[in-house]
Amino acid sequence: MKFEWAEEHRAFRATIREFLAENLPPDWEKLAHHGPGSAAQTEFSRHFCGKLAQAGLLTPHWPIAWGGQGRDAWCQIILAEEMWSAGEPRGAQYMNVNWIGPTLMQYGSDAQKQQYLPPIARGDAIWCQGFSEPDAGSDLASLRTRAVRDGGTYRIDGQKIWTSYAGLAETCFLLARTSADRKRGISIFLVPMSAPGITVRPIPSLIGEGDIHEVFFDDVEVPAEARLGEEGGAWDIISFSLNNERLGIPRFALARRALDRAVSILRTRGDFDRESVGVQASRAAGLCQAARLCSYSIVDQRARGMAGTGESSSARVATVMAERAVAEFVVEFVPEALGEADALLKAHHQRAIVAGIASGAAEIQLNLVASDVLKLPREPR
Amino acid sequence: MDLSLSDDQAAVLGALESLAKPFAAVPANFHGFALISETLDRALVEGGFLDVAYESDLGAVTAALVVAQLARLPYAAEVAASALVRPLLGAELPRPICLADANAPHRPVRFLAPGASVIVLDLDRVSGFTASAQDVQATETLFGYPVALLVPRADRETMLRRFDVSPAAVRAAWRVALAAEIAGLLGAAIDATVLYVTDRKQFGRPIGSFQAVRHRLAEASVRATATRWLALQAADSGDAGDAALAAQYAQEAAAGVVYDLHQFVGAMGVTLEHPLHLWTYRLKALLSELGGRSAHAVDAAALIWGG
Repeated sequence: MKFEWAEEHRAFRATIREFLAENLPPDWEKLAHHGPGSAAQTEFSRHFCGKLAQAGLLTPHWPIAWGGQGRDAWCQIILAEEMWSAGEPRGAQYMNVNWIGPTLMQYGSDAQKQQYLPPIARGDAIWCQGFSEPDAGSDLASLRTRAVRDGGTYRIDGQKIWTSYAGLAETCFLLARTSADRKRGISIFLVPMSAPGITVRPIPSLIGEGDIHEVFFDDVEVPAEARLGEEGGAWDIISFSLNNERLGIPRFALARRALDRAVSILRTRGDFDRESVGVQASRAAGLCQAARLCSYSIVDQRARGMAGTGESSSARVATVMAERAVAEFVVEFVPEALGEADALLKAHHQRAIVAGIASGAAEIQLNLVASDVLKLPREPR
Repeated sequence: MDLSLSDDQAAVLGALESLAKPFAAVPANFHGFALISETLDRALVEGGFLDVAYESDLGAVTAALVVAQLARLPYAAEVAASALVRPLLGAELPRPICLADANAPHRPVRFLAPGASVIVLDLDRVSGFTASAQDVQATETLFGYPVALLVPRADRETMLRRFDVSPAAVRAAWRVALAAEIAGLLGAAIDATVLYVTDRKQFGRPIGSFQAVRHRLAEASVRATATRWLALQAADSGDAGDAALAAQYAQEAAAGVVYDLHQFVGAMGVTLEHPLHLWTYRLKALLSELGGRSAHAVDAAALIWGG
């Protein structure tokens, strides 16, 4: 057991940092403040991800056959940490390289792979994820958007909500019901967002412009070839996808960076001499370190090809605790950062609120820890 | 980065598990606060388990693993100080090793008894002496360790032996030892609680199936797991800031989790017939170590961000 980085991983991180230093514009922190789903950042991401791809830093963890370098799970989290800490200059495209691409490689038809993988690997594709619905959030399997087979096509009707990036996405990774069976009745469709019958309404939100949306599907026709995998096979596929992304965003990395920034502001004006401030800062730093190490233990398992366990939910919970502690530290001691005093701290705070909500509520993660790690009896339904 | 056990580490922990097996259960007639066994202590010494940190291919991480694993037993054994602090002192010292904080003279000292090595950590020096009967004042406490008070003596200064080691290094090792021990205690206390809430039924179902219980136990489990990682990482890095964070996190986790576990085991956990207290009342003893969580946090702030 050793906690030092291998030379390969240290060098990889250094390469990414150099790339960021050279390719992020001087006003980047201000731009990043609009959020990964904003028009400004989406436009920037097309340019930036293209350069990342040329430098071999967009899909280094993909297999060589699809233009990657076959790098290990450690490289994937190092990349994710550095990008997220830098304000996620990949915008919406982080999702593509983390799980949409790998899912297509595993389950896509040849035509789907040829159509979708090259643009993702070039850094020129925006996807959105059509999962949640007004009555199906944490209880995803109760979703009601329907896809009805009609000869060689499917006709899709229903509504999605909280859909990130929908406003500018070209393609939706959509979950829709093809039969009544709760889990086995759900299928995946790769739907062009330009298809007639799709209406997107942005929802004003706390986390930045252009981030979340309602998407309405009104008799949207897609060819049967747009279905990913078997009819009714969505649950297994998204389990695979989430397995690829089961750590979620490495929020602990930006949280710690934000904490360091807050401490540096406090020190400059002499407020860090107060022990009460230092105590809270250390508390938050401990939670960040806890989240980092719990996450790394999952990456370590992945790097050895081991299957996912309930422990990834433990890492998610630890990350939510860290994100919360840093956000609260900033509000308590550097309140001006929620104004215009510091773009990084403001952006951190803006995004921190969804740490325990997006991609599976913290309470759902706690249920998973209770059942899968502690093996506690389940709640009767 | 390699977070799995090395073959050597797995072998050490495997051997330790066999050795510890006879001590996994509480003797039927035992109804006390601190459960100890000379047989266990002797076996640990003879097996070399307290000396793993001296072996360069095992080191402090393996010692921390040993500390955490042994803390899971219902028996209180002097392991942490011997395994993680003693190797820094560069001397053959009689066991048990008792760590005393010069800034907390009223604090009961764990395992203190005549013949024990007392290591006194001060801000500017580390010194020690072998305790005689005159140094030890017996005391009855609620803690789950054998403890005694150190008798203040005017002539102690003349008996002290100085160790050629930086107080900061000893403080860091002590913090790692503390965090590793808390990690093991938390893990075992949570396991005992999980057994209880799985078995115990109210309103027609196991109380562990109620979300109010499940969520808090899940949080406890996350904190225990994280405590273990923080202790191991700090053992590996040898960094004083990492050690202070680990100790702070561990004590904070212990403070919250002890309360919750006693809530879940309810009246049964109030009895001396259920073993929960054998872990939780050791955790209570550790909450004040080295000044408690705020003291670690103050130090961590200086170590991480500069004083």
